[in-house]
Amino acid sequence: MSTTLFRTIQPNHFTLLGTALFRTRRTTRHISVRCLNQTATTQEPKPSSQPRTAPKNHGSNKLDEILRDYEAVIGIETHVQLSTSTKAFCSCPNSYGSHPNTSICPVCMGLPGALPVLSSKVVDFGVRLGLALNCELSLKSKFDRKQYFYPDLPKGYQISQFDIPIASGGYVDVDIPLEFGGGHRRFGITRVHMEEDAGKLLHSDSGDYSQVDLNRAGVPLLEIVSEPDMRSGIEAAEYGSEMQRIVRYLGVSNGNMQEGSLRCDVNISIRPIGQAEFGTKVEIKNLNAFSAMSRAIDYEITRQALLYNQGQADQIVTETRLWDEGAQKTVTMRKKEGLADYRYFPEPDLPEVILAQEYVDSIRASLPELPEAKRRRYEDMGLGIQDVLFIANDVSVAEYFDEVISKGADVKSAANWLMSDIAAYLKNEELSINDVKLTPQELAELIAAIKDETISGKIGKQILFELLAKGGTVQGLIKEKDLVQITDPVEIEKMIMKVISESPKQLEQYRSGKTKLQGFFAGQVMKMSKGKANPALLNKILLEKLNAKE
Amino acid sequence: MATRAALLAVLSASPPPRMIRVKASTFSSSSLQFQRHSRIARCFSSDTNPSLLQPPDVSRLAETARISLSPSEIEGCGAKIRQVIDWFGQLQQVDVNSVEPAIRAEMEGGNLREDAPETFDNRESIRASIPSFDELLRILWLKRFNSVLVLLPSSCLVSRFNTSVKA
Repeated sequence: MSTTLFRTIQPNHFTLLGTALFRTRRTTRHISVRCLNQTATTQEPKPSSQPRTAPKNHGSNKLDEILRDYEAVIGIETHVQLSTSTKAFCSCPNSYGSHPNTSICPVCMGLPGALPVLSSKVVDFGVRLGLALNCELSLKSKFDRKQYFYPDLPKGYQISQFDIPIASGGYVDVDIPLEFGGGHRRFGITRVHMEEDAGKLLHSDSGDYSQVDLNRAGVPLLEIVSEPDMRSGIEAAEYGSEMQRIVRYLGVSNGNMQEGSLRCDVNISIRPIGQAEFGTKVEIKNLNAFSAMSRAIDYEITRQALLYNQGQADQIVTETRLWDEGAQKTVTMRKKEGLADYRYFPEPDLPEVILAQEYVDSIRASLPELPEAKRRRYEDMGLGIQDVLFIANDVSVAEYFDEVISKGADVKSAANWLMSDIAAYLKNEELSINDVKLTPQELAELIAAIKDETISGKIGKQILFELLAKGGTVQGLIKEKDLVQITDPVEIEKMIMKVISESPKQLEQYRSGKTKLQGFFAGQVMKMSKGKANPALLNKILLEKLNAKE
Repeated sequence: MATRAALLAVLSASPPPRMIRVKASTFSSSSLQFQRHSRIARCFSSDTNPSLLQPPDVSRLAETARISLSPSEIEGCGAKIRQVIDWFGQLQQVDVNSVEPAIRAEMEGGNLREDAPETFDNRESIRASIPSFDELLRILWLKRFNSVLVLLPSSCLVSRFNTSVKA
């Protein structure tokens, strides 16, 4: 049946030019070679008289009405590629983007007689993630072999955990952003287990051969299986984002979806509201962004609801669908006929994984503050939920913020600077917070300098950008550029009198009722002071002078 | 005993003589697998009853090994596989009720590795030994068929059998 020709990539034949010729299709690893060639042409049924329409093609009121009668049930499997230095069961370097088939050895190539030895770091990361997800840990878990034959799997089986995962029965708390209705949700975690990744297949565009890169074969993964607790695309995307935040906070993975370090497969079914049993489950793959995940799920809910509504519920079948980003819809990848047969059995080459209670306790004690705890703490500090979500979203930003606060800076001001000017700067310059030259200490100084009126807010902004780009100290810049705010009423009054005497025409207009010209005078004085005049004081004295009877 | 149990799991996983036309794409998400858990666990712990040994469904085995066989090949294979199964049937006569199952090599746990990368020196010879397409087909055929049948490495087979037979 293997009509497709597999050539193993030889490093010296593989050039950058070659890379461009191949599409990487990681999500198709479970389909057979035979099906690969047919997928595009035969799997998608001909458009029937009842088109699978996107929501916009229907009167949205009518659609809303239909959707109101159904409830979606969504569960997610997340694969997290661990940022270890070695593969799970051998010492081959685990490095993304290496030259094809250079990070290989007899163990990960499945050569006879080679024996796997588990990396302690994988256990460490599994325990960390299990604890972070509030799971019960199995002090004694084991590995199993999951058999399937596919060219990206040299051994013919994947080492995984089947009936005793390292962690199970947990939950995760998320905040739904305000723009999506807000609120707090808790989603159950069924299990977390350790396993190894498969290699990568590069399918030639002509479809008549594929190339195999086994650098990824044996790279450690943690698979997180959620309870079917999510009800909408937004909830699912938020769950996914929280997983990403958690693995990044913990430092177990870079959580990068583009590189495939974080992969989410979504299981979704809908049922009429009030019905206890689940509907037919459809799996969606090829989701490489959380926004795509949310849109794919909403599309799928609509598709299934319309089929129900039109009495065609039997057309919802157990299948795997792919999200087509270009067409913004899901398409059939493969239909499932019966249960898969992975023939699991215990891995005889690996001992059980036994965790000492003290070991678990020591990891528990070393866990960093997690996103949920950070959010609740920021909320208690008086920040609004939007600020909270923004700052806690990125662990580096959160750590930066915490450091600014620890230097005594005002909480609300620190949040404002981070969310507005600094965020804009980072975005424009395509930098991360770790790249900026402005230290948390100096941001705290800047906030303090504005608060005690040493400098004005406007001047503060000006030197902020200099500090971000070049570094230095706030006090140094203030001195160097002579930026100290002018708060001496006598000095300000002098400048005001000068401006007024230089603008007799405007003064006349003002006094004959055109009071908007106050802004003109304030601007002139500010200009004269090089932006250093205290604005409140300036306006107060200016008003007095303008309104003074001659 | 463990070997036998493992084999049982394999054999009983192939349903009673019923040809299943499975498209090559019948893999499901892992959550589906858990429904099967109780069944497999039962296989592992069950008293090994020779009557559980069913005649091989060669088509089904070939399907799971991702190889295609002609009807005459199926016939030829069937007889050979039957022999292996019968041999296991004989082994199952041994009373092992008082013997602890030896699922894996005895290693008081803790056999872990530091996360220190080491590049394997002889990678070139691994790549060089990758067979050509024609060779590959032949090797895959053998390798897959063997591993579908006997899911344990041969080294393990020996040690497990020693345990069982001693009892």
